[in-house]
Amino acid sequence: MDEEPERAKRWEGGYERTWEVLKEDESGSLKATVEEILFQSKRKRVIESHGQVRLGMMRHLHVVIDCSRSMEDQDLKPNRLTSTLKLLETFVDEYFDQNPISQLGLITTKNKRAEKLTDLAGNPKKHAAALKKAVDTVCLGEPSIYNSLNLAIQTLKHMPGHTSREILIILSSLTTCDPANICELIKTLKSLKVRVSVIGLSAEVRVCTVLTRETGGSYHVILDESHFKELLMLHVKPPPASSSSECSLIRMGFPQHTIASLTDQDAKPSFSMSHLDSSSAPGLSLGGYFCPQCHAKYTELPVECKVCGLTLVSAPHLARSFHHLFPLQAFIESPVEEFQEDRFCQACQGELKDKSIFTCPSCRSVFCVECDLFIHDLLHCCPCCIHSQSAP
Amino acid sequence: MASEDEINLLVIVVDVNPIWWGQQAQRETELTLSKCLDAVMVLGNAHISMARTNRLAVIASHCQDSHFLYPKKSWRAGDSGGDDACSSGDGKYELLAVANNLIAEEIRNVMSKAEVKGNSTDTFLAGSLAKPLYFTGQVIKAAEDCALQYMNFMNVIFAAQKQNILIDACVLDSESGLLQQACDITGGLYLKIPQKVALAQYLLWVFLSDSEQRSQLVLPPPAHVDYRAACFCHRNLIEIGYVCSVCLSIFCNFSPICTTCETAFKIQLPQMIKPKKKKLKQPT
Repeated sequence: MDEEPERAKRWEGGYERTWEVLKEDESGSLKATVEEILFQSKRKRVIESHGQVRLGMMRHLHVVIDCSRSMEDQDLKPNRLTSTLKLLETFVDEYFDQNPISQLGLITTKNKRAEKLTDLAGNPKKHAAALKKAVDTVCLGEPSIYNSLNLAIQTLKHMPGHTSREILIILSSLTTCDPANICELIKTLKSLKVRVSVIGLSAEVRVCTVLTRETGGSYHVILDESHFKELLMLHVKPPPASSSSECSLIRMGFPQHTIASLTDQDAKPSFSMSHLDSSSAPGLSLGGYFCPQCHAKYTELPVECKVCGLTLVSAPHLARSFHHLFPLQAFIESPVEEFQEDRFCQACQGELKDKSIFTCPSCRSVFCVECDLFIHDLLHCCPCCIHSQSAP
Repeated sequence: MASEDEINLLVIVVDVNPIWWGQQAQRETELTLSKCLDAVMVLGNAHISMARTNRLAVIASHCQDSHFLYPKKSWRAGDSGGDDACSSGDGKYELLAVANNLIAEEIRNVMSKAEVKGNSTDTFLAGSLAKPLYFTGQVIKAAEDCALQYMNFMNVIFAAQKQNILIDACVLDSESGLLQQACDITGGLYLKIPQKVALAQYLLWVFLSDSEQRSQLVLPPPAHVDYRAACFCHRNLIEIGYVCSVCLSIFCNFSPICTTCETAFKIQLPQMIKPKKKKLKQPT
């Protein structure tokens, strides 16, 4: 199965002299080096960008959480399970923020079995609530990668071809207990075009390396909690779509939001379809979103209409994903001494105190480090380029 | 009451499109640009007076540019005492006097330097909103929307929502769908003023309070926001449409090729039923 040569392990490579990175200046302080290292780590995230690659925007992701005995280990404070669940709550928020029309499902595995925590759904609140409750679960036994993958496949294989099917496993144990040959399962995953990625909490495990390599996912092992967060956030961005995924036109509805008050004559209170099967008392409400096809009412978007099956979204949900399709180019970095004119950042009007300044390649306006990070992480458009677009 | 250390910054973005204001001056003489700016200065002064740590910034949004009226660039670099500002003789708080003078002077600079290109009445709100995005923003808008800026505008709105910045809008003339969406998404207030003369009153009543105080006041009800999408082919607002899975462009009718990303779509055809071959009975 492993025809590809694996990359050399760390202990096989040359001796890394990590102390040489730190250099003292004349007074013996390390401040400049430390600042430089922090600066580089900030910039690292901005530089990696996809460019003109087709992305899988509608994603169906299953997250498998290992709840075996090794999760009680206290190397992540307070213990691995609590730390993982907390980071997953942030992940769920970010995921739905960056991929508003995607869906997420949670699976836990312990005691050689796998169980669904939440179904595949597009509503972040349900997942967040389930994660909060899961803090109390008892961790025992061994995880089963086979069973959890099987459980995930059962829902993913029915998903339409134009969506991306992904599984993310957070594995802390070094063993797995499988009822059948996992190699067969890997072949099935490949044929179903499911991409499996693993984040390991303990050490590299060979079966995970093979699993991720064959299905096209990524495998990382964490160093500490902040690295764990970074690795989780890598999975928030939409992955490049595989060439075999189909492209199709999906029929969607854009319902109007009606806000009615008691003084309106036509206002009739009604139930929301999404709350019909919830145990808390379903409330009658006056306003909401009405499906354009069957007029069923929902309180939140995006949702799939239970009556007629139409996907309901609102235009801002689609607009949130546009910045992935038209990413902002990285700005050109240059040392601040070369800059002759007025030393002011165009965005925040503050003085340029840092070592380097960033210039937008199209409009040549100058920004400081903080504004550059802000523009690339949050804003996704250059404030001065917007001005240079001429009016029609 | 806000705690001692919190700095509450209010940014007012004023639409100073000269064409619209010129037309407005011809239509009715009650509300001119200078009166509008007076009202804005009243709001700014009131905000500064509310708490010691409150700060203010004013931006003028123009056809091709947006310009910080207050504070000025060089002012930031020096210390924040107004040394060269003339102290007004009537006992006004110095900061307010400095602010008012600076605003008046800058607006004169902006208006005199501006070149009028073409007849458009659109303004580049996206640019002016992008700049002060660490603050609470307010927009006073006169002219109409420009469809070109939709994507940039939405980017700005989502960034504001992430940072918990409220965007309020005070519209003088025509309704603006984009600003309605901005206010709805970020949690701010949208108001179209019925009587332009009373601008200062509306500003003080509705927009002066910060987010915690707003729950205590009885404010105008939220406007009905139209979240329907516009199709890319005709720019009509549609309720049910087809979305391309690759580039997320919206179409009102099914077409075999997406015009934006030029992917060909698979068309779902009904399954062909193979005709069953009937075995001919051999005549025995």
